[in-house]
Amino acid sequence: MRRYLKLHSIFIKQDLKKLMEYKVDFLLGALGFLLGQAVQIFCLGVIFSTIPALCYTVGGKVVDFWTFEEVLFIYGFSLIPKGIDHLFFDNLWGLGYWIVDKGDFDKYLTRPINSWFYVLCEKFCVDALGEIVVGIALIIYSTLSMPANIAGAINWWRVLPIIAILPFAIMLFTSIKTATAAISFWTKRSGHVTHMCYMTNEFAKYPVKIYNKVVKTAITYILPFALTAYYPAIYILRGESAWSLPVTVAVSLAFFAISQFIWHRGLKAYESAGS
Amino acid sequence: MKRQLRIYKPFTRAGLLEMVAYRVNFIFFLLGEIMQCFVMFFVWKAVFDSSSQETLYGFSYDNMVVYLFITFLCGYITYSDGTYVIGKEILDGSIAMRMIKPVNFDMCFLFQELGGKIFQLLIVFLPITVGVEGYRWIVNGAFMMDVPMFLLFIVSMILAYGINFFFNVCYGFLAFYLKNLWGTDIIKGVIVGFLSGATVPLAFMGTFGQVLGFLPFASLSYTPVMIYMGMYSGAQIIFYMSLQLVWLVAFVLLSRLILRSAMKRLVVHGG
Amino acid sequence: MNNNEIMIKVCNLKKEFRKAVKEPGLKGSFKALFKPKYDTVKAVDGISFDVKKGEIIGFIGPNGAGKSTVIKMLTGILTPTEGVCTIGGKIPTKNRKEYVKEIGVVFGQRTQLWWDLALRETYMVLKEIYEIPDKEYKERMAFLNEVLELDSFITSPVRTLSLGQRMRADIAASLLHNPKVLFLDEPTIGLDVVVKDNIRKAIQKISEESGTTVILTTHDLEDIELLCRRIVMIDKGKKVFDGELSELRRKYGQMRELAFELKNAEDSSKLTYDKDFSFEEGDLSVEMNGSAVKVRFNSDTVSVENMLSYTLSKVHVKDINVKDADIEEIIRRLYVEGGEADEAST
Repeated sequence: MRRYLKLHSIFIKQDLKKLMEYKVDFLLGALGFLLGQAVQIFCLGVIFSTIPALCYTVGGKVVDFWTFEEVLFIYGFSLIPKGIDHLFFDNLWGLGYWIVDKGDFDKYLTRPINSWFYVLCEKFCVDALGEIVVGIALIIYSTLSMPANIAGAINWWRVLPIIAILPFAIMLFTSIKTATAAISFWTKRSGHVTHMCYMTNEFAKYPVKIYNKVVKTAITYILPFALTAYYPAIYILRGESAWSLPVTVAVSLAFFAISQFIWHRGLKAYESAGS
Repeated sequence: MKRQLRIYKPFTRAGLLEMVAYRVNFIFFLLGEIMQCFVMFFVWKAVFDSSSQETLYGFSYDNMVVYLFITFLCGYITYSDGTYVIGKEILDGSIAMRMIKPVNFDMCFLFQELGGKIFQLLIVFLPITVGVEGYRWIVNGAFMMDVPMFLLFIVSMILAYGINFFFNVCYGFLAFYLKNLWGTDIIKGVIVGFLSGATVPLAFMGTFGQVLGFLPFASLSYTPVMIYMGMYSGAQIIFYMSLQLVWLVAFVLLSRLILRSAMKRLVVHGG
Repeated sequence: MNNNEIMIKVCNLKKEFRKAVKEPGLKGSFKALFKPKYDTVKAVDGISFDVKKGEIIGFIGPNGAGKSTVIKMLTGILTPTEGVCTIGGKIPTKNRKEYVKEIGVVFGQRTQLWWDLALRETYMVLKEIYEIPDKEYKERMAFLNEVLELDSFITSPVRTLSLGQRMRADIAASLLHNPKVLFLDEPTIGLDVVVKDNIRKAIQKISEESGTTVILTTHDLEDIELLCRRIVMIDKGKKVFDGELSELRRKYGQMRELAFELKNAEDSSKLTYDKDFSFEEGDLSVEMNGSAVKVRFNSDTVSVENMLSYTLSKVHVKDINVKDADIEEIIRRLYVEGGEADEAST
């Protein structure tokens, strides 16, 4: 374990050196990403300028509502586990899109380290820092600009358990990517499947209650991205959905186990068929 | 002219075959991309539920749903990969090979891409229009599609594709100067998406939105979508479609100009 | 050190792939979806051989013979369907992480180096991956530096290296952890003559000084002639020859080449070797280029003396040149024979 942590830090250092080689590329990419987030948030602002708050209504009656600041907070929070997974474990995309397809996976099997770990940490994706920074900025901005009664309801001690489950939220992303990327061991390419599953996380950026039953079930139980965004965020804001904390841990562990199982089955298939 | 077109037939065929070969990947990718539309479908529902008004800036919720999906559709159908393909060939130098062949350089790309579009019509255009019209039919209890408007929409979309294609050719040639594709392509995507009203209708942005309406980006999807929805009056349709035509001509001319200067550069500097 | 110690033991190694067969048309696609049919392809069909410690063996065969499948099984990337291979007593797929520490692999067409970073960086990472102690790393690096002359480009980004430099760097990368066995897949592909020569010398030196066993696959027969005393040739998944190069020559070396320079170019039509002698296929090949005539033939069927007198009786000759068969010729013949045997069996 310690050896792997050391190795990972070396890989990160190497990628930072690479970054220095391609400063302009990095800056342009980061700029594009920040611009994209800014546009999204601007549009969110435009949408919210027409209403006082986002309401969840049943039969015309308002059951629950979220102010623009609260929605921004949830949105910002959703970027953090996503961004951290993106930062450290981005190479899984490569596996599904081209590594297996081009026959480059053999390299990972001729090294004396775990092949999953090697694939996982070979690339350090600095672009993701933008995601994390925007996320944190949104959280800070939204709490500072919240109306006093909403800000007053926040109990900041609730941040501690959320930090504790953060690794599990990240692991959820990584596990879903691992499981779908491993499909490429059978089919050579599976990046598009990863893409489809990954994009489901877009739903988790907004209050889950606004969705219908199908979507709600899907993002809470099937591809449970809501556990990485809406539930923890609303727990910090209002203390609601405390049940989701232990559930996140359990579900994340289950997803990890399943993804490892698929990975190992895939590896066996690869070993018997090659590429 | 007919003979001219025949030269490009194999390119169209190749484009179509490539698309068919990657159909499964494409469908998965599409499903991932359309997720965003469904997210906004629910967000807008909550927004309209939260508002005391039936319409926002002239859009009812049903309009908004149509807007979302038809904009997505338009984005897909008018999408052009020219920037990336041309840029890559410029950076790795294979563009020289293109130049020595007795076919028109950008026309090869055009016809190859059109081949792929044939397939996309089948698996993107058909399901989305049927879905949108089905949705409108259920909600309103009546068939809502206006056939003449639909035909105008098709024409406008073809113009939009033309604009986007030649815009991307121009942008692709910037690779001669920028030497960077990935970052600039991302920035381009974000700016074009925003300025064309892909995320929020330009009508929501007041005077700023009106100004944006005159830019070529609005011609890419906002104009055809508004025509589809029947939100433009006759005079507006004439005005905005003429504007599309103007932009198309402008970008064709610009791309010729850039192509010529790039050729010169290629000859002088050897790429 | 016992020089007869066996390093690699391959015993009845087999690899079968299942390939889905699809009937043509839409109906076929549906059938394949619900009731897939498979064909079994025998890529490697019962191969056995041993390699001694410190030996350099050439592993050759035509494209699609099963070479790379064997190499992949030996390096632990593929699991054999049947049979075993052990390297230094270890079974490749059993405990891969331990096993791969003892081997080094270079795939000539693919690099294992960090493309965008200075070459030295790759070695630093490999040092950590293989847990090489500092002192050993320094010594090893110095040795590889000396043999492969990395000094001049060790600080350059890998993408700026020439093909020859890159290959040297790749070989060094696979040898950093002092593996017992080195697998080289097409190490000289695409290189010019001088560079090829340098790389061959380096491989030889490394094998001698570190006692590394080398398995070399190549299409360049000069590699084999200069590096390997022994070759293993496979075709259609089966071993067709295993032995010393000189034995191969003795066994199949009856091919001779006669080159004539004719006085009159138009005389060449008088030379009808194929009609006047009864050679078996593959035993005769004639090249005519103006006044230059080249005849390759099996001297078991027709002696060199007969061949010469036949030619001299038909045409006037300015110059004659007699050549021994080179290794390339022998192998070409072996490949042809293999192909014929296959046709006969189907």
